[in-house]
Amino acid sequence: MPPKAAKGEYIETDTGNKISRRSQIHGTQHIILGGKTVIQAEAVIRGDLYRIPATAASTDPNNPPPPSNTPSVAITVGRYSYISKCAILRPPSRLHRGVHSFYPLKIGDHVFVGESAVVEAASLGNHVHVGAGATIGSMAIIKDFSVVLDGAVVPPAMVVPSWCVVGGKPARIVGEVGEGYGVEGAEGGLARERYRAVGRP
Amino acid sequence: MACPFPYTYVSCPCADTPVPDPARKRRSRESPQKSTPERTNASSGQDTKEVKPPHNQNEQDEEEEEEEEQTFDPRSPRSNFSLYPPEQLLYCEDCHQIKCPRCITEEIVSWYCPNCLFETPSSMVRGDANRCGRNCFNCPVCTAPLSVSTIENVTGNGNQQGPWVLSCGYCLWTTLDIGIKFDKPTNIRSQLQKMTDSLSGPAFDTRSRQGSRAFGDLKSPLSNLASIEEPASTQDGAGGQPTQNDQEVSPHLGAEARFATLKNFYRSQISETSTSPNDPMGSEFGFSSPGALNRLMSLYASSSRLSGLYGGNKKQKPKPPVMREAINASEGLRIAPEDGDTSVIERLASPDCGWDGVASLSQRTEQSPDVRFSDDLMPLPVLLRTKRAKRCKSCKHILVKPETKPQSTRFRIRLIALSYIPLPTLRPLTLPSPSLVPSQAPDLNALAPLRPVHVLLTLKNHMFDPVRITLATPSVTPGRVASKVTVLSPQFDIGPNSDVWDEALQGASAPITTDPRLRAAEKVPEAGKVWDKGRNWTTVVLEVIPGTLPGSEAEGGKEGADEDELAAASQQDEDVLEIPVFVHMEWDAEAQLEQQNVGKEAKPGDLVARELAYWMVLGVGRITASL
Repeated sequence: MPPKAAKGEYIETDTGNKISRRSQIHGTQHIILGGKTVIQAEAVIRGDLYRIPATAASTDPNNPPPPSNTPSVAITVGRYSYISKCAILRPPSRLHRGVHSFYPLKIGDHVFVGESAVVEAASLGNHVHVGAGATIGSMAIIKDFSVVLDGAVVPPAMVVPSWCVVGGKPARIVGEVGEGYGVEGAEGGLARERYRAVGRP
Repeated sequence: MACPFPYTYVSCPCADTPVPDPARKRRSRESPQKSTPERTNASSGQDTKEVKPPHNQNEQDEEEEEEEEQTFDPRSPRSNFSLYPPEQLLYCEDCHQIKCPRCITEEIVSWYCPNCLFETPSSMVRGDANRCGRNCFNCPVCTAPLSVSTIENVTGNGNQQGPWVLSCGYCLWTTLDIGIKFDKPTNIRSQLQKMTDSLSGPAFDTRSRQGSRAFGDLKSPLSNLASIEEPASTQDGAGGQPTQNDQEVSPHLGAEARFATLKNFYRSQISETSTSPNDPMGSEFGFSSPGALNRLMSLYASSSRLSGLYGGNKKQKPKPPVMREAINASEGLRIAPEDGDTSVIERLASPDCGWDGVASLSQRTEQSPDVRFSDDLMPLPVLLRTKRAKRCKSCKHILVKPETKPQSTRFRIRLIALSYIPLPTLRPLTLPSPSLVPSQAPDLNALAPLRPVHVLLTLKNHMFDPVRITLATPSVTPGRVASKVTVLSPQFDIGPNSDVWDEALQGASAPITTDPRLRAAEKVPEAGKVWDKGRNWTTVVLEVIPGTLPGSEAEGGKEGADEDELAAASQQDEDVLEIPVFVHMEWDAEAQLEQQNVGKEAKPGDLVARELAYWMVLGVGRITASL
């Protein structure tokens, strides 16, 4: 990744991703960013926790993947998604048939992940808002246009349906967002604006 | 006020006019036109002062005759009910009005389980007691979803047979805690049902044969699990008559099963008593029918003259049929154990129960009424959720209709207010030049009193027609903290939300799209001029001079802030700077081919002048006490 701007806080890639130099991204070859994604300082993205193909049932994740096929994807992030400071993205894991293995983490478009949130979900849909300090448990599924309030703890394997607001510890469905949620420029549709504001002097 | 600053709320007019009132539209048109641009700019203070009533009056008589003279007070207790974030509002195209959640009715389109996202057909919803009939359960302890997992941790490729349990990933509760295992990982609810049924007597089978089985599903937590625990404690405490008591209670039913048995019993009682030959009416009608009333009345009127009125004259019944009550356990009778309470109390007090052993109040509300201890808690099938269509209350037109499928996020009809009213966004203006205002963005959570702040209000048009906007604010915000507000250019136009390509193809005819940053460098807020303008949006500047908090240093040279008063002010959010803004918009819409236009042979190209007026509230920030 050749740095274009020598000085700025953010590295801007060809597809328009703005990635803070102070972020910690592990296993970059297992991460797909959809473009125009913002990753802020001190965010941690664990691309190194990818799924090891079943044949190589090794217990040591430090081993290089079998060189036969393309590296498996650990984290996919859609367009205009925003990973705030100190947030942690971690692929979910599960004990399956006695083997602890990781599964891919898919993040949709226009997703906001708040400060110091921990996301271990199986998928975050489009236009999902994860509040600051929220925790999303392993293999949880957050559908499109839903909101996780600040500080909520979404239990593992929970499914949050679309248009729902969840909050609390453990998270429960506490309400619904309005029909206009996600309209460009309104609440839930501010992703483009947020993207544009990043890295401006 | 939990929203971070700045925020914008739009007031639904329904708070003032509970019924659609055509006169209101005319009235609201008049008020903003008092402030023509010149007058507002030059002497906005005087002009709008006359609109604004004194404070005391404002509080007392909200609904006086001169209602149209009143400005909107965001602090009035009634405002709470009319202010909504713009994305929650809908718009009725027939009433031409903003519709808030209070002016709509809802109807259910579909039911679905929020956990597995399967739709439940409406015919099954009642039978399943509004709960998911598949594998979805919530933890009775912490409400987190339970997942099906196997006990036997078969490593490698061993076949995963074996008992299954429901386990909570949040509090680590499992059904093993209450001694339940499942044979299959599918259809857990019916397995659980069978398990709870198995302890019941023969009466339970009749119930299920009756087809009212589904009734019992409501709170499948049948308390018969308690029966596993309780015999031990009963014998401890009772001592005296264990054998006889146990025999009677032997078909110990859970609450739901008992209810069903009792219901069954009384139904049969009714049919037995009313099909007696004395009462030919009763055979066809149930207990609540007029025939039943007749029979009841004849019970009381055996000797009095009422018997003449109620058909008792034919033949005097010597002994009307009498319903009996349930007398044994198979009929649903349960005799409270004599020492029931003492044994419960003893168990509560015993050290191995403790605080954690007792079910909390919130846990018990979800369970059957007999549940007292945490090991009586049963997993709860997940409550269904609904997708709902929304209709306008006054004209019954559908405003929102989502697609039926639970997974779909699309709508067949969606008339949201944001497609009609301009979307307001607010942000503080930072002037790069060293002027009165410091160059960095003012801290909206700590606005210094009496120091002017400029905020930029951007209105973005989502309609395909250009819109003329008139803004009006009271020159001094209502409430005890009087901040001065001036809209620097209260009248302006917003372009249509045309195709982005239209503009591009028209060429650079409009030189408005210069680099905003370059322009901002030499730009200062100026009265009568819009700040910035784009394809379908316009930004204007509001000059705000935050008022002083009552009892603060800044007020009237008083030495030392009055702490109590300050605390009171911040408690009641009086220090929050909220600006009511009246928005009046006019546009020319294409005439719709409606009923009233059919006679006049309106061409589709005809333009109809439309207007809409509403109040909105801009939350700018919080005022600090000190300068």
